[in-house]
Amino acid sequence: QVLSKMESRMRATINQKLTEMGERERLKEILRARLTECGWKDQMKAHCKEVIKEKGLEHVTVDDLVVEITPKGRALVPDSVKKDLLHRIRGFLAQHAT
Amino acid sequence: MKMEDMPLSGPDNTRLEALAHDIYSELVEDACLGLCFEVHRAVKQGYFFLDETDQESMKEFEIVDQPGVDIFGQVYNQWKNKECECPNCKRLIAASRFAPHLEKCLGMGRNSSRIANRRLASSNNMSKSESDQEDNDDLNDNDWSYGAEKKSEHLSDCISQNSPRRSKSLKHKNGYYETLGPDEVRSLLTTQCGVISEHTKKMCTRSQRCPQHTDEQRRAVRLFLLGPSAPTLPDADAVETDSFDIPDAQPLMSRLQWEDSDISPTDSASSKASTNHSDSRKPKKKKKPSLPLNSGGSSSQSNISISTKKKRPKLSAPPISSIYDDLP
Repeated sequence: QVLSKMESRMRATINQKLTEMGERERLKEILRARLTECGWKDQMKAHCKEVIKEKGLEHVTVDDLVVEITPKGRALVPDSVKKDLLHRIRGFLAQHAT
Repeated sequence: MKMEDMPLSGPDNTRLEALAHDIYSELVEDACLGLCFEVHRAVKQGYFFLDETDQESMKEFEIVDQPGVDIFGQVYNQWKNKECECPNCKRLIAASRFAPHLEKCLGMGRNSSRIANRRLASSNNMSKSESDQEDNDDLNDNDWSYGAEKKSEHLSDCISQNSPRRSKSLKHKNGYYETLGPDEVRSLLTTQCGVISEHTKKMCTRSQRCPQHTDEQRRAVRLFLLGPSAPTLPDADAVETDSFDIPDAQPLMSRLQWEDSDISPTDSASSKASTNHSDSRKPKKKKKPSLPLNSGGSSSQSNISISTKKKRPKLSAPPISSIYDDLP
């Protein structure tokens, strides 16, 4: 889906604001904390162990892990965490999007 | 799909919503990547599998998830249902209640109402020796005990009956006036402030001039402990009591103008009425030197006005006039 210039500009502005105001960092921290509390991190680590055992301790690369982890990770985020994050993001947009 | 420049709220919301989701996805991906880096580094640095050992040990220390047992497999309320037989009353008491029960049963702990029992016992028997021993125990154990809720009659009983306890009381001069004989109290009060604290019921051990208490309080304490005929506070100049003369209005006047209100009108009136000043209070001299006095009525008038200026609420007109009635 191609975005119009206007929208692209708007998005760029928002992203800039997110970063400059420290909101992005805050959101990252919140997400990390929630994922740890709900056990997502342990789950993912366990999956990593399997991948490593499969590929071999010496030979496993970052890309191996990324390829294996990211799709599963995205899917396994609990709904409550997702809702919470979206809520916060929407709040930010409501305040700072023109 | 091209967006309008002036979007309606509907499409606008859709755009924002899409943006929100995109931002969210970015955050999640960032979290995943972060995890990958963390794991990869741990693998390459060699500490990723540190929490794993051989299969045997792993089984041994596995987390236990059974009812009635904690995660280590230990039973945590093992002694809850056990009962012990009390050596005193021979009852079966639950283990967790055993210690407090013993306290009450043997009459030994802080909350064992031991003093209450003692008071009941002594009020029944009025036996001196009995209360002697228990008093000592009390003092040794209880920080906060206060036996001085006794009425002053009991106190005067103890003091007036030449208590044999007096010899022992030297050991217990820790401010509890109830254990002291009249001599001890008297000697204490000549050197110490002696004001009894409201919450600890102990006599203040600071000097006669201790700033925490007023002379009024000190006088009240002496009155309370030694009775109305008690000797007064010694003054710094060591004025002689023996030279106290009734006809001479001077000491009376000096009393009237003391810094702190020491004498209540009734006291001065009664002591005056009895015309027995040989053992009445010594004229007290406080930090301020007393005003110079001439004998006679004129000075007395001025003295009265002085005392009223100092706001002596207790010195009302009638008692003063009664004093003057006796003057020559």
